[in-house]
Amino acid sequence: MKKFIALVMALAMALSMGIPAMAAEGTDLNVMIETPVESLDPQIATDGTSFEVIAGYTDGLTQMDAEGGAIPAIAESWDISDDGTVYTFHLREDAVWSNGEPVTAADFVFGWQRAVDPANASEYSYMLSDIGQVVNAAEIIAGEKDVSELGVKAVDDKTLEVTLNVPVSYFLSLMYFPTYYPVNQAFFESVGDTFGTSPETVLSNGAFILDSYEPAATAFHMTKNPDYYNADSVQISGVSYQLIQDSQQALMSYQTGALDTVLVNGEQVEQVKDDPSFLTVGAGYLWYVSPNIKGVPELANLNVRMALTYAIDRAAITESVLMDGSIPTYTAVPLQFATGPDGSDFSGDQTLFADYCADDAEKAAEYWAAGLEELGIDSLELDMVVDADDAPQKVAAVLKEQWETTLPGLTVNLTVEPKKQRVEDMQNGAFELGLTRWGPDYADPMTYLGMWVTDNANNYGFWSNEEYDAIIDECTTGDLCTDPEGRWAALYDAEELVMADAVIFPLYTQANAEMIAANVTGIEHHPCALNRVFKNVVKG
Amino acid sequence: MAKTKTPAMAAVPYVPVAEDFVLKNASGELALDANFASQSFWKDVLIRFFRKKSAVIGMLLIIIITLLAIVGPGMNAYTYSGQTLSEKNLAPRVAALEKFGIFDGSETMRTTTGSKTVNNYVDKGLEDVYYWFGSDNFGRDIWTRTWSGTRVSLIIAAAATLIDMIIGMSYGLISGYFGGKVDMLMQRFLEIMNGIPRLVIVTLLLLVLEPGMLTIIFALMLTEWVGMSRIARAEMLKLKEQEFVLASRTLGAGKFFIIFKEILPNIIGPIITQVMFSIPTAIFTEAFLSFVGLGIPVPRCSLGSLISDGYNSFTTHPFQIVPPVVVMALLMFSFNLVADGLREALDPKMKEV
Amino acid sequence: MKKYTLKRLLTSLFTLLAILLVLFILMQLMPGSPFNDEKLNDDQRAALYAKYGLDQPVLVQFFRYVGNMLKGDYGVSYNISKNTPISQLIQTRLPISIGIGGAAVALGAVMGLILGLIAALKHGTFWDTIATIISVIGVSVPSYVFALGLSYTLGFRMQWFPMLYNAQLATQSSVLPSIALSMFTMASIARFTRTEMLEVLDSDYMLLAESKGISGPALIFRHALRNALIPIITVLAPLIVDLMTGSLVVEKIFAIPGVGSLLVNAIQSNDYNVVISLSFIYSAMYIGIMLVVDILYGVIDPRIRLAKEGD
Repeated sequence: MKKFIALVMALAMALSMGIPAMAAEGTDLNVMIETPVESLDPQIATDGTSFEVIAGYTDGLTQMDAEGGAIPAIAESWDISDDGTVYTFHLREDAVWSNGEPVTAADFVFGWQRAVDPANASEYSYMLSDIGQVVNAAEIIAGEKDVSELGVKAVDDKTLEVTLNVPVSYFLSLMYFPTYYPVNQAFFESVGDTFGTSPETVLSNGAFILDSYEPAATAFHMTKNPDYYNADSVQISGVSYQLIQDSQQALMSYQTGALDTVLVNGEQVEQVKDDPSFLTVGAGYLWYVSPNIKGVPELANLNVRMALTYAIDRAAITESVLMDGSIPTYTAVPLQFATGPDGSDFSGDQTLFADYCADDAEKAAEYWAAGLEELGIDSLELDMVVDADDAPQKVAAVLKEQWETTLPGLTVNLTVEPKKQRVEDMQNGAFELGLTRWGPDYADPMTYLGMWVTDNANNYGFWSNEEYDAIIDECTTGDLCTDPEGRWAALYDAEELVMADAVIFPLYTQANAEMIAANVTGIEHHPCALNRVFKNVVKG
Repeated sequence: MAKTKTPAMAAVPYVPVAEDFVLKNASGELALDANFASQSFWKDVLIRFFRKKSAVIGMLLIIIITLLAIVGPGMNAYTYSGQTLSEKNLAPRVAALEKFGIFDGSETMRTTTGSKTVNNYVDKGLEDVYYWFGSDNFGRDIWTRTWSGTRVSLIIAAAATLIDMIIGMSYGLISGYFGGKVDMLMQRFLEIMNGIPRLVIVTLLLLVLEPGMLTIIFALMLTEWVGMSRIARAEMLKLKEQEFVLASRTLGAGKFFIIFKEILPNIIGPIITQVMFSIPTAIFTEAFLSFVGLGIPVPRCSLGSLISDGYNSFTTHPFQIVPPVVVMALLMFSFNLVADGLREALDPKMKEV
Repeated sequence: MKKYTLKRLLTSLFTLLAILLVLFILMQLMPGSPFNDEKLNDDQRAALYAKYGLDQPVLVQFFRYVGNMLKGDYGVSYNISKNTPISQLIQTRLPISIGIGGAAVALGAVMGLILGLIAALKHGTFWDTIATIISVIGVSVPSYVFALGLSYTLGFRMQWFPMLYNAQLATQSSVLPSIALSMFTMASIARFTRTEMLEVLDSDYMLLAESKGISGPALIFRHALRNALIPIITVLAPLIVDLMTGSLVVEKIFAIPGVGSLLVNAIQSNDYNVVISLSFIYSAMYIGIMLVVDILYGVIDPRIRLAKEGD
């Protein structure tokens, strides 16, 4: 037995010695991701991590600048027809795929056709139809027309012409969304079904090349692309991704220098708040509670809904529970992602709807009393569905407590479910209250306001208002398309209808608390489309 | 007392009389034998159990913890769900102990810019506030939550364990005793049951049924009995060819009489040990379900969910994970001591020890 | 013995098929669908169902799946890694889980046996108490608390071992997860060894063996331990399967690309093919190990072998 113990000791010693420091070689940027990549197929991917990685090695027609605006990328320049419906993109001559083939207009046509092909059932196909308004996209998705009829055409190798149904003011900023990325047809067909499952089955035309990756990997790496047309501007030698799902391990890894940037959990903010490397970044997501207005008679009562939304102490939730820099939100469109024609934040004024939504326990009690009287009841039991993740469960526990203490006679039960099932329950109307979130897909309030039109699948409360539907219609396909100021004003009118009817109870705009090492600068954060961009990072 | 016979009368055979069968010097002490036989098996077990000091300590600890689980949550004004967000993450503070410099509400925070010792009761002006075990990240009293969590865990564990002991033990014993085709069929069924990962079955159940304590007990029951049945069967295989079983069978004892009356008492040791391990397994499985978000519905808590809550503050406020872990460890330790004591008291072979 | 083994092998195959069928039925009972993201519309969902053949009756799906499986095709993932063949997803992950789990089983079993033996041989002494306390801690502290504790002390403060799994340093970075995982096994085995050994040491045949002059290690290992092994193996067997098929929490903490977290994610996102394949691998391992255990019983204890051959 002594021999055995000695052996174990020796083994442990041998293992513990000679562990190379975990710090990176060269000037690789070491970043943490919270969730694994779901797909490297630009037309199939739907999650933030996948988008970030795909955009790391692929350029679209445009790319995102630090402020989220569209700047030229594969498209060197473009012309827009006077009526705003025809875009002609001129592609750069020196853009090449990592197999040496040039990037051509046909690659974009192929990629876009994949996105609308009903056989692929791309979740983000509506980026081309409803949002992008590309001619025939909606009909092709519905299976009424052939993919070849899509309103996109390769005039020659380096000229791409796009035709839209109506002018779309933010069309250029859609071009950096991965669904609109090019795919080389010859390469795609040569790798068959394995496209996007390994470094050998993806092509790069961007700042980096994927050089190690496995499906759903916990660690993978991208290296600088020497053939990138703008290679001189890329200062780091590569990006090393590490999946960490435990926030305490993440912070410890950061402290040992193994990671250059990590997400910090609210609990840990106390530990790092005095650190100069600590910062909070807007994440764009709006968290809100959706009442089932159609399915639950008590929630059809406006006073009850008003009572519920006034009874929430949003400031307490963000300051004492989340602590990650999230901002209390009293509007249906969250803060800091949509900038209007005058350059201001669409939701910059959070007191705009103070008559419909605020943290006010007294008003809540009044509405509550009125609501109960109208319904002729003195107590009410409601059920709220919540995702089985950490943050939503915490927020829900606080909401329950706030509601039950402010509104006498109210009991709220929490039902915790995996997200997939929660979404399905809510879409089927099998819920009473639901805690949910929505992330912006593009920098326009419509990404939120489009949800509450009659019969939209994400209009969980089955709320319906003709006036609202008319405004939204006018703003997407009607005359207001060409009138940015008028459209902006109309969107506020629509938002007011949602707030006045308490269709949702907005809670907060999510932010992420992060640490970024002192020697790293130039990480760009965005609330929509691509959450992080690393190509301009400098690591000293 | 018998008469002396003359040789002339020797031909007459002797006829015994009643007096011949009475003991000389009859006294109470010799009646010991009869006394021993009338003492019941269980009384015997109890006497031997209480003779073992460690078992008694274990028993006492379990009683104390159970009592605290019953009265603990009512010992201060806090409730298990009441949140005071302004009083969150306070370190333990006890009035009687703070003069000695312990449990005075101060804690050392390790930050990335150095460690510092803070007393949030003083800093936040909460001079008259006392959280005996501290408060969690919602400002809920950990003392109250620990004991109400203990209550929930004990109920879940006891119910689940009792049920799977009964089901699992009977299943294993019957399967092992009959052997052959019966055993084959029963084992194949068990293999199918157990071949499907527990997690798949449990998650599915929790998604289909209303979440709550009964569902969790049901889910645990469905999956945990297999381990018990396997132990019982293995023990049965070991014992069934032994002489005492053969003897019993030769004497015409029924099959079930042999299984439950003859063999069961002989394998009670390993069974009880398994039961004592079923309890933490039940508590842990519930904790795991809490970890994946399918445990006892918030804001109710169990020891397992308290440990996974405390886990999230492990590096920031380590005091939060200590109470549930200590209670859990003490429970396990006492169950072990009791199990040991019971095993020795129950084991017929150890009678003379 | 050979005939018995063959018979067992055949029945095991049928059991596996039965399990597969049960899994298919369970998948049907699962609420929700793999394609219920907020942004999919009904037409797209229908198209996806048709594309993957999920609109077919269960039995059709079952037989097609079995047919494909025989050809080595386990289907593709719907959510976790969209359209990736399951075989590709699992082939790199399973060895990692088996490696770390195997190390944990070995460590746990050996340490558990040692602890249990010490406790039994020194019954009622200080050593017994120490062994009991260690095993009590082993069962009362969840593996994720151990994992984080180890990571904090040996990984972060001492920097002896990496805190996260690293494919280039597979051995070193598997040390902490293996230790964290082995604690429960160690504790269970220690307790069972102690109980069994105490019983065996007390038996008449041990008295006989002793009186025949056998002593020391021979007595303990040849006579006592051998008889205590059956129940110990019985406890160990399912633990082996559980550990080798990965542990969600430890994988999550150490960022290990194993199959444990895959299964949990798959269940939560209704990724049917991943759930079925992983469950099937689990079942196959389980049944395989049970088979080995059953045969081992016979090897260890001739009485069982005789009883079985008599059948």
